[in-house]
Amino acid sequence: MKNKNSKIFWIMITPTFISVILLTYVPILKGFIIAFQNYNLFNLSNVHFIGFKNFWAVFSDTNFNFLRILLNTFLWVVISLFFQFILGFGLALLLKKPFKGRGVYSGLVFYPWALSGFAIGLVWAWMFNGQFGMINDILKRIGLIHRNIGFLSDPKYALISVITTNIWYGIPFFAIMLLAALQSVPTELYEAAEIDGAGSFRKLFSITIPYIKPTIINTTLLRAIWIMNFPEIIYAMTSGGPANSTNILATQMINKIYNFYDYGQGSAIGLVIMAILLTYAIIYLKVTSLKELEL
Amino acid sequence: MKIMTKFMKVLALMVYLVFALIPLYWIIITSLKGPKEIYTFPIRYLPTSISLQSYKRLFTFTNFTIYFRNSLIVSLSASFGALLITMFSGYAISRYGFKFKKYMLLALFFTQMIPTFMIMVPLYTIFSKVGMINKLTTLAILYTNMMIPFSAIMAKGFFDRIPISLEEAALIDGCSRVQALFKIVIPLTLPGLSAIFSFSFVNTWNELFLAVMFMNSDAKMTIPVALNSFISKAGIGWDIMSAGLVIALLPTMVVFAFAQRYIVAGLTKGAVKG
Repeated sequence: MKNKNSKIFWIMITPTFISVILLTYVPILKGFIIAFQNYNLFNLSNVHFIGFKNFWAVFSDTNFNFLRILLNTFLWVVISLFFQFILGFGLALLLKKPFKGRGVYSGLVFYPWALSGFAIGLVWAWMFNGQFGMINDILKRIGLIHRNIGFLSDPKYALISVITTNIWYGIPFFAIMLLAALQSVPTELYEAAEIDGAGSFRKLFSITIPYIKPTIINTTLLRAIWIMNFPEIIYAMTSGGPANSTNILATQMINKIYNFYDYGQGSAIGLVIMAILLTYAIIYLKVTSLKELEL
Repeated sequence: MKIMTKFMKVLALMVYLVFALIPLYWIIITSLKGPKEIYTFPIRYLPTSISLQSYKRLFTFTNFTIYFRNSLIVSLSASFGALLITMFSGYAISRYGFKFKKYMLLALFFTQMIPTFMIMVPLYTIFSKVGMINKLTTLAILYTNMMIPFSAIMAKGFFDRIPISLEEAALIDGCSRVQALFKIVIPLTLPGLSAIFSFSFVNTWNELFLAVMFMNSDAKMTIPVALNSFISKAGIGWDIMSAGLVIALLPTMVVFAFAQRYIVAGLTKGAVKG
């Protein structure tokens, strides 16, 4: 029966095909080419190939130290992902057993998931505000600090502030995903372990985690890719500043395009991002021995 | 011991709740304080009086009604568009054992790694050639395209869970493929399809960068573009901004409240199979 209706299947799949090819893969090929061109949006009459010059320009940019940007990107992804995962997992464990009002409660803690990263960045920028921000006010009231901290204007604090916002934003994703996985663990496994006298920690590490491992792998993989490509929060809060201290690859790409109109260098950074993500995805899947990404 | 763990659990739940709600509380309170009280010391966590002044200023000082309408038009049409298209392709991928099924899925998955900025200018060139810049239709098309890969993957996941035997029975009874799809498969996947729709609505409602690139006149701005322009616009302080933010955040929260169950099922069982 599978091949009999092939004509209908092709008709069904064609719109998706056309859209993905025409509006994603064709533009991305063009983006590839532009990465090797002198392509300034204010000087489009002078577009020509310049080999790897865009890449060298990005790597050796003295105003925006590239190593710092790489380090920021690494910290942004790893710290955010780590705490999003740990706190999300914790929340999922708390919500595993039913209790009165669990539905309402999960709605109240999961809602950040549906919000715009950009809008949330602005909300947190207001909370971190150096003059009128509530975070400064609360820290002063409980006596932890005596003078206001410029959370977003002081290079010492800016990165940790945007990462905090990202952690807050990403907890629900992991909680939602892991909660669903937790509920699929057969209760008999726990019962058997209890008979053997296993404690909570034993059960967590020898039953729960091994059982939901595929979900853990898939969600962290997807989320890491997503966080790396997620400039909205930083763009809203600091735009990569002050002094390059919160600049990640994705925001540097915006910077090159919005402020320097240099789409060639912007695309070069885009290629670097994609190369890193692709390498990461392949290594991650090899190491975790998940042969095929199940979708 | 038991009471102790229970107490710890409740305490942890409270901490999570407070942490999750503080930003929302703070922005709502800010928007209700009125322009003057926002900048007074000491900071007030409960406003002395509720004032709708900021909202009034938002709607008189800016064209926020138009931005809201634009956002609504673009998001709704893109979500419907993506749903309609991927309902079919998701079904086809799920049911038809064509050779490059795996590659098709990988090609869809790979789009998730592409930075928006990488394809933005090429897209702009394409659309400007046909004179489609600064049009809501264009943004709706781009958003539909943006939502198609993930929606198709989700839809495929939903259809995978409907036993083929159900359709085979219908086909034997003389139904056509398309009839079987509409009469049997789609009714069974309605929750999944509403999850796809809500997911698209949330994502398109929140999209900023494509809209900034393609929508350059005030009359065509969506809410995120407007908020972005507020940052540098003279005369706009945190009063107008906070009111705008509350209105920007509310619709997706409402959608989430209603569709949460389905979205969760859709994301977990459709996309990331455990």
